[in-house]
Formats: sequence, C-alpha cells, structure tokens
Amino acid sequence: MKIIVVVALLLALAGCVSVTKVDSGDRPVGDRLTVNLDGPWNQINAPNLGPAQTWTMEGLPVDQLLLYSGIKNEQAIHAERVGAASGATPKVFAFRSTMQPDEIVTLFEGMLTRDGSRFELVKLEPAPFGGGKGFRFDYTLTRKIDNVQLTGLGYGIVSKGELFAILYQAPKLAFFARQSARVEQLCRSARVKNI
Amino acid sequence: MGVGSLTRFARASVALAATAIILLFAFAGPAGAQTKNLADGFSLLPKNAKVVIMPTDIELFSISAGGIPEPKADWTEAATRHFKAALIEKKKSLGATALELSDRDADEVAEINTLHAAIARSVSLHHFGPSYFHLPTKAGKLDWSLGETVRVIKDKTGADYALFSWIRDSYASGERVATMIVLALFGVGVPGGSQVGYASLVDLNTGQIVWFNRLLRAGGDLREADKAAETLNTLLDKFPSAQQ
Amino acid sequence: MPARLTRPELSTDEGGLWSLMDRQETQLRRSPFAVRDPQLNEYVQGITCRLAREHCADIRVYVVHTPLFNANMAPNGMMQVWTGLMLRVENEAQLAAVLGHEIGHYLARHSVERMRDVKSRAAFGQFMGLFGVAGAVGQLAVIASLFAYSRDQEREADAIGATLMQQAGYDTAEASKVWGNLLLEIQARPGYDEGRSSPMFATHPSPTERQETLKLLAELNPGGRTDEQTWQAKTAPFMLNWLKDETKRGQHEESVALLTRMIGHAPERAEFRFARGEVYRLRGSGSDADAALADYQSAVKAGNAPAETYRGLGIVYRQRSDAAAARENFQRYLEAAPQAPDSAMIKSYLEELGP
Repeated sequence: MKIIVVVALLLALAGCVSVTKVDSGDRPVGDRLTVNLDGPWNQINAPNLGPAQTWTMEGLPVDQLLLYSGIKNEQAIHAERVGAASGATPKVFAFRSTMQPDEIVTLFEGMLTRDGSRFELVKLEPAPFGGGKGFRFDYTLTRKIDNVQLTGLGYGIVSKGELFAILYQAPKLAFFARQSARVEQLCRSARVKNI
Repeated sequence: MGVGSLTRFARASVALAATAIILLFAFAGPAGAQTKNLADGFSLLPKNAKVVIMPTDIELFSISAGGIPEPKADWTEAATRHFKAALIEKKKSLGATALELSDRDADEVAEINTLHAAIARSVSLHHFGPSYFHLPTKAGKLDWSLGETVRVIKDKTGADYALFSWIRDSYASGERVATMIVLALFGVGVPGGSQVGYASLVDLNTGQIVWFNRLLRAGGDLREADKAAETLNTLLDKFPSAQQ
Repeated sequence: MPARLTRPELSTDEGGLWSLMDRQETQLRRSPFAVRDPQLNEYVQGITCRLAREHCADIRVYVVHTPLFNANMAPNGMMQVWTGLMLRVENEAQLAAVLGHEIGHYLARHSVERMRDVKSRAAFGQFMGLFGVAGAVGQLAVIASLFAYSRDQEREADAIGATLMQQAGYDTAEASKVWGNLLLEIQARPGYDEGRSSPMFATHPSPTERQETLKLLAELNPGGRTDEQTWQAKTAPFMLNWLKDETKRGQHEESVALLTRMIGHAPERAEFRFARGEVYRLRGSGSDADAALADYQSAVKAGNAPAETYRGLGIVYRQRSDAAAARENFQRYLEAAPQAPDSAMIKSYLEELGP
C-alpha cells in the first residue's frame, strides 16, 4: 500500500474526526433529552455516523451506546447508506410518529441487520423512560462481519411525535456485563423536556 | 465485465470501508514509546512463564504480472511454520515455555478467538491509530481486558499467557489497493507490497492484554525462513523479556 | 463421472485456492451462522451424497443461517446451502437440482478456471469473497457479480446437474422450476437488477436462457421423484423461523411474490398465510392493513396458525381502534404463547384497551 495514500487520507480526516470525553453530570443530548452520567464516556464525532450520538467505552469495534434525541416523522434512524445491500435501492429505515413500541423495535432490528447480522428479541416490555411511559427491550445480535455475539438493550419513548431512544450493545462475553449497570443508570436518569 | 465497472455504490462503499481499514492500521510514524506496547504494571514475563500460541492467522498472497493476487498456500504454510518456529525460539531465548493449541481445542475456544479479534481491531484503531481516534477514558494506556472468559484457555493448556497473532501479506503494488483493504476486513487479502498485522499477549489470569504490537509496512517477506524471522522480529519487537 | 479429485500440489495456484478454502471452512465450522441441527445437516448431506456418489466422501455440507437463495461449492469440497434456499424450494428434487448444479461446477473445476481467467482482469481477492463466510451479504452480491461463471460453464454445470439428478432418481423437470420461481420473485422488486438482487444470480448468468436448456434436458429424461412429503416433514421444524427471517428482510415486494407462490402451492399451510400477513402489516401502505387482516384470518381458518397470527390481528385491529377485536386477539396470543418475548408489551396493550 502506498504510504502516501494513507497519509493523505489521514490528513483529510484529521479535521473531521474526533473523540471527546463526556464527563460525569448532567448532559444534554439534542434539544429535548438530558442524561445524567456517573462517570466518563467517549463520544465519537465523525461525518456520516447517523442521527444518533455514538458513545463507547472500549472502542467502536467492541461496544456502542447510541443516543437518539428528537427523531422526527419520516426521518431515517441511520446514516445515508452509500453501499447498497443486495439491490438497486438501499433500504431506508425511517421512523414514523404513529409507530408503536413493537414497530419501533422492528425498525431498530431492520437497521441492525442490514449487513446480514442476526437479531433476536429476548424481551420487550413497557418501562418508564424519560419521565414518561416508554418501553425497554433486550436483544442479541450476531455480527455478520466477524461472528461476534453481542448482547443489547434499549429504551425508547415517543413524545410529541418524536422518538427518543438509547441503545447499548457489547459482546456477550465479558463486555456487556461490565457496563450494563452504568447504562441502566444512565437510561433511568434520562429526561425528555415537555414530555 | 471488469473491475472498472464497479458501480458507484460499490466504489463508494469500498472507499468508505477502505478508509476505515486504513485508519485501523494507520501508520503512526516511527515506533512510539515503549509504554505504548505495554499495559500498566507489566514489563517482564515472569520466569518460567508458559505461553500458549493461539492458532496464528496468516494469509500470504502473491501478485501476478497482471496485478492479481493469488493465495500461495505453500508460502502461507511456510510462513505459519516460520512464525511458530520464531515464536518458540523467542520463548526459549526468553526462558519461557511455548505451547500450541490443538485444532480441536481451537474449535472450542473459537468464541474467545473471535472476541479477541474484535478487541485487537479496537486497540489497533484507538490505541495505535491516529491521535484523533484515541479514547480519552483510556488515558493513553493500553488498557483492554477480556476478563474471566480466558479462563477456558488457561484450563485447557495450563498456560499463564496466550499469544494471538494475525498477518496479511502480499507482494506487489497495484491500483486495487482500496479493494484489497476492504477484503482485509473479510480476512481475505491485502494491498500489494505490504504487511498488516498484530500480535497480542494476554494474561490468562486476568484477561488483560499486557502487550500488543501492530505491524503496518511496505516491506518484509514471510516466504523464506530468514526473511520471515525479520518480519516476525519486527512484529515481536519490544516483546517483553523474561525475568532472569 | 470423473474420478475423485485429489488435493493439488501446495505450490500450484489450485493448491493455493484449496488451502485458502480450507481456512475459510475452519471459520465456517466455528461460526454461529452455521446451523448446527444434526438432523437437518444429515438430511441435506444425504441428498448431496445421493447425487455425488463416490465423490460424497470429499464433500462437506454446511447449512448457513442467511435468508437468501444461495448455494455454492468451493473447490476443496466445502458446500454451503443458505436457509433462504431451503425456504424457497418446494421439494427434495428442487434442492437436488441446485446442489447437483453446484456439484457440476465442482467436478468440472470451474472455480479454478474462473480464478485463472480472473488473472487477466483484477481483484482476485474479491473472487475469494464468493466462497467466503464473513463479510456483509450485501457486499457479496456486488463483488460476486464480477466473477460469474461463463455461459459455457453454466451449460456444463446444468448438464452435469441434470445427469446427477436423473441418476439419483429425481424428476429433472423440477430444475427449470427453481430458477423460474426465483426469477418471478426478484422481478417483483421495484427497480430490480438481476445481478444485484440475488447472490445466486450474481455468480450465475441469468437463468432465462438456461431454462430452455433445462426444459430440453428434462424432456430427454422424463419421470423421477420429487419427494415433496419427505421434504415437508424434514423442514417443518424450521419453517416458521425461516419464514420469520424472510418477513424481516424488508424486501416486501419480493416477499409477497414468494409467499403468494408458496400459498398457491400449499394452500393448507397456515404459516405461509401468516407470513404474508406479516409482510403486508410491516409494509403498511395503502390497503396493506386490509390485506394483512385477510391473510391472518385465512391462516386462522386453515388451522394450526402460529401464535403470532393473533398478535398480528390484534395489532391491526388496535390500529383501527377496534377495541373488541384487538382485545380478543391479544388474549388468544397470550394464551397461545405466554412466554413470548413481547408478552409483557402485548399485555400492556391489552390493559390499555380496557375491560
């Protein structure tokens, strides 16, 4: 590989990519969502990551915390996808304000399985979130690209036609358990303004 | 239909993925400080430490005149042998014992291997990658652990440490660089004339990655024993010595 | 029937290919995507052996959990059959047609020919993706299309496949049906592009012209079994999961075309109607809700409808504010599947609906 190509690409991205520390305490996410953190997280900032904020503790290939704040009707829950999966039109997963919890979970399932990964819902139940009556779901995801088996959890609520949700997934072995209590705490602390 | 007719979508997705992989193995300049490769509190292999060599994942390709890489089984076989031999030599010279994991045992620890590969990608990207990818909570330290899951390897082998390694290597330059990088993701091939790889030493009592080195360069040759030894020495450069 | 293939010299290009495939196979064997059910594997391996005869000892079959129509055989004898293919074929003979075709490629060493031919073009590594295990399914379709077997190779594989089918006692007329069915399905997708709609068509040139050849071959060898009942019995335990995978694909038009064919072929099977109902409900445009209700109801009528049928009915009725009907169906769902993952959610819908 031409090293010059690598360097050029690195320089090109140097301005656009950063990882910032998210400190403990109250933290606004978008206009209407606030969460309270018991400790620091790493926030990935890069072009074309999608409408959710992406945080991590162990790095992108390992664990991801996705924070969705105020997703509007007809808005896609993922980045614009440049590589089409099998077919002429890439499938877009867009939220609709009329969606019920089961449909929202199906929406996330669709997004998470775009690349051939396998999703299995373990539990879906009503749960308080953001200060209102939301829902919570547990799932497993077998990642196609490298066969890693992930455990995931999510909370969500629709308020005034907008979607607020937090998802966390990490390898089933060792990693999910490491952060799950912190994530639960974070989700319990979530508050949606004017819910 | 030739590669030139890759669709816009495919080209763009290849470019995106290529970017990801390039960054994954980004050339961070001359070897960093010694501590970059070592976890806190670790610098020497204890005397008489037993190291199990996890099945090495090496794939070598040769690029024909037309610019097409083809898998060279004999080179790969040779390289795998050389690598193992070099590791065992290294262990001997360091006073530690090297063990190998049987294929059957490897089947049974496949999930841990898979997990480690993902962690290794993370370390390559976020620790050895460009500084704007560093994770602030890691505070610049090599601080990743597989936890108790590695207990299974310890139980099977009685070893104290496990050495994981992954190398992709090919021998030509070419315009298909981006595509080759994408396929490195799939574990298939690698851009011409370069080596990418990593070696990782895991403490089987804690699951902590105590030493990690990643390789990205335009030279090196794993095809012959003596040249292979050079590559491996580069990869194992700064491998912890054993206590005397 | 050619003699059994021997492992080529390690230093040859073919040897390199085999060796690389061996490493891919090790990964596949360890992958969570490999279906581990021993009975299903035995069944498919059995069909393969009936076709391949003395070559059976060199072939190892892996059923892989991917909801797309595909089967391929690597030069080292590793055969993959995707669960999407298992869903789509109607009987044993149709699976035999696809497997026989792939064995044909293997016996005639077409993949090595392709590799050598590829040398004159580019990106051999992409060619490897054809037989790979990991990698995004979407990528596979795109890159695989660059290395489709040639038309001559297809004709040869079809001829060999037909011979193998006939020798094993299968009805060769089923071969052209498989491809015809698949074409029908992908043509339903808006803006479809054959090469990129199915990984199968990415590696094999369009079956439209081959169908004539296949029909001809069938006419030369009339008769033979389809073993439809055996097929149904052996795949029954997995069918509902494969159907659910299909409904989750998000390719609604294709799914409707596929399921409509399946319902037409086996009108008594409630689970096919349930699945199409799900697709209509998930698509949810225009009169889809009505279509979903109709399918769910006909599934109930057919008897032995999956528990999720009642959930589907409940959800649609709830959307229409038909509280009584919603309540009744949610109750039936919870009775039929008290341990369902979403039972707590459905219970809360029920509570909201009131007494």
